[in-house]
Amino acid sequence: MAHVVLKDLVKTYGNFKAVNDVSLTVNDGEFVALVGPSGCGKTTTLNLVAGLTPITSGDIVIGDRVVNDLDPKDRDIAMVFQNYALYPQKSVYMNLAFPLQMRKLPRDEIDKKVKEAARVLDMTHLLERKPRELSGGQQQRVALGRALVRDPAVFLMDEPLSNLDAKLRVQMRSEIKRFHQDLKATIIYVTHDQLEAVTMADKMAVMNGGFLQQYDSPAQVFAHPVNMFVASFIGSPAMSLIPLEISTANGGTVLTSAEGWSLGLSPRNVQKVTKATTKKVVLGARHSTIKLHKSAVPGSIPAKVYTVEPTGDVTFVQAFLSGAIVNVSVPPNIAVTPDERIWLEFDQERMHLFDGETEMALEAS
Amino acid sequence: MTIVTGKAEARRKLQPGRSGVLRNIWAHRADYAYVLPAIAVMLVVIAYPIYYTIELSFYKTPPGLQLRDKTFIGFDNYTTILTSEVFWKVTWNTLVWTFGSTFISFVLGFATALALHRDFIGRGVLRAILIIPWVISAVAASYIWKWIYHSDFGIIGAVLVGLGLTDRPPNFIDNVSTVLPSLIVVNIWREFPFAMIMMMAGLQTVPDQLLRAAKVDGANAWQRFWHVTFPHLRNVSVVTILLLAVANFNSFIIPWIMTAGGPSNASHIWITHIYELAFGRQRWGVASAYSVLLFLILMTLGYFYVRALSGNERKEGGA
Repeated sequence: MAHVVLKDLVKTYGNFKAVNDVSLTVNDGEFVALVGPSGCGKTTTLNLVAGLTPITSGDIVIGDRVVNDLDPKDRDIAMVFQNYALYPQKSVYMNLAFPLQMRKLPRDEIDKKVKEAARVLDMTHLLERKPRELSGGQQQRVALGRALVRDPAVFLMDEPLSNLDAKLRVQMRSEIKRFHQDLKATIIYVTHDQLEAVTMADKMAVMNGGFLQQYDSPAQVFAHPVNMFVASFIGSPAMSLIPLEISTANGGTVLTSAEGWSLGLSPRNVQKVTKATTKKVVLGARHSTIKLHKSAVPGSIPAKVYTVEPTGDVTFVQAFLSGAIVNVSVPPNIAVTPDERIWLEFDQERMHLFDGETEMALEAS
Repeated sequence: MTIVTGKAEARRKLQPGRSGVLRNIWAHRADYAYVLPAIAVMLVVIAYPIYYTIELSFYKTPPGLQLRDKTFIGFDNYTTILTSEVFWKVTWNTLVWTFGSTFISFVLGFATALALHRDFIGRGVLRAILIIPWVISAVAASYIWKWIYHSDFGIIGAVLVGLGLTDRPPNFIDNVSTVLPSLIVVNIWREFPFAMIMMMAGLQTVPDQLLRAAKVDGANAWQRFWHVTFPHLRNVSVVTILLLAVANFNSFIIPWIMTAGGPSNASHIWITHIYELAFGRQRWGVASAYSVLLFLILMTLGYFYVRALSGNERKEGGA
């Protein structure tokens, strides 16, 4: 295994910058998820690392080698694709053997490695089958096996679970995680599903518009999103973002809404909003940090219920507040009906504040 | 809904004496009514001529169109054909013509398709130019090539003489040993674009991800072709080759216009020979017997064609 370093990586197509000065380091044995919406440049970044797409500028280091101009086969990588990309006319055995045959390994060594990979992935009984005779999950396991036999420095995975149904996806998620733990493999994993990234990765790189937004552990990204994009992208349901304005009332700093209400701030949060470049501030709060009250309590803000979504364990309430929709989760035994008047209380410790102009998180120094 | 169906079912059961097939037809009578006109036309223009050809093949026919004076002679026409020297000559020519044209057209078309599959400037124009031989009329092409090959005024001869490679322009199509290869060249020129189009369409269906996977697995360009592209194109190749083979077996325009089978049967293939027997020498019976044999051979090729098409589906579904 090896570490991977991306340094000022740029990929342009004509005038379009698909990947924009991306720099990050994947440590040896680390599982890193590249996550972002469609077209954010995450797959392009992976293809740059793989060598399937030539880079425009920057450096890619795998192990201790700069691999910028090397062919994919010389980069010591293995890749797992979204559509499995198994050779349809070859048996599972031959699919696993193919990368080794291309490396001109002796036949008995190939046989040993293929059987070992099949044993690790528990598919010895499938070796003689053709890919079309396998289920989606089995096909993806063969694809993993084909990557595994190579014993590469880095595993690159391009949305490997997107084609599986929801149940199988959860199952394969833990299989891949287990695979990573057992092999201590360095893995770069592309996904548009933030849940996959959060649950599997040691670190996640959130991308948008070709830019790397934040690169940190999932817990850190979840707790301290650097900007409004990351805040709204990570977490489900998404973080509620409410546009407000800074003003002064009774000598203290408060946030006022166009609707007329205002929200007092803790000293620490006051410190944060003083950093704002303009008067505009966006309040961010996750569903679990907002309390729902049936009647007014001090510090709470009136809102109107829009929809109620019971999920069994927890009921999600969406409410209108200052032109934004706010997600609140409540225990299922609390009955709320649409259009009902409710009061919301924000947790001063766990709320997020963003600069309304730059969209960056405001931090107390 | 159920009540209506139940009634219809009951009414059907009341009509006795219908076998399963007839009842089935009756149940789908509207569907049959729709295809009936087409079936009627097919019976008149296809089924009857086939029947009449088979019938004629067992008769000795007088020249001219007084076919009522024909006399039944059993398999005599067939024996005549199979024992004649011309038959074996023509059959050999047909095999050379069919397999030579088919194989080389396919290889050339496939190679061109691979070349045009890469992205380069002028690809669209080149593709359009290469399709021209296939879209122009075969008659026009035959006349053009007749002039190109002409022993006195042909451009090939002129160029060869001009370059000093030969003293006299070569005789391409008036020479027993060169006439058939010369015609095959024309045929290949005319039909390789067909193979090219088919293979280009096939190439577009090769999954890009599979090629990328092979690249990462360490396969070079040739290995990617051999392990990914070519297996993927197996079915379209089989279909293309069969279609070319059937078309070549049935070729008429190019050999007929360019040489009419000459000199001394050196470029006669089955179709031109049958045509000459029937409409040149008016030996209807022998020509019919020839046609029946040809029909049987083409049906065999057709069988493989259908099997190649449906075999694919069977493999996808079963196993």
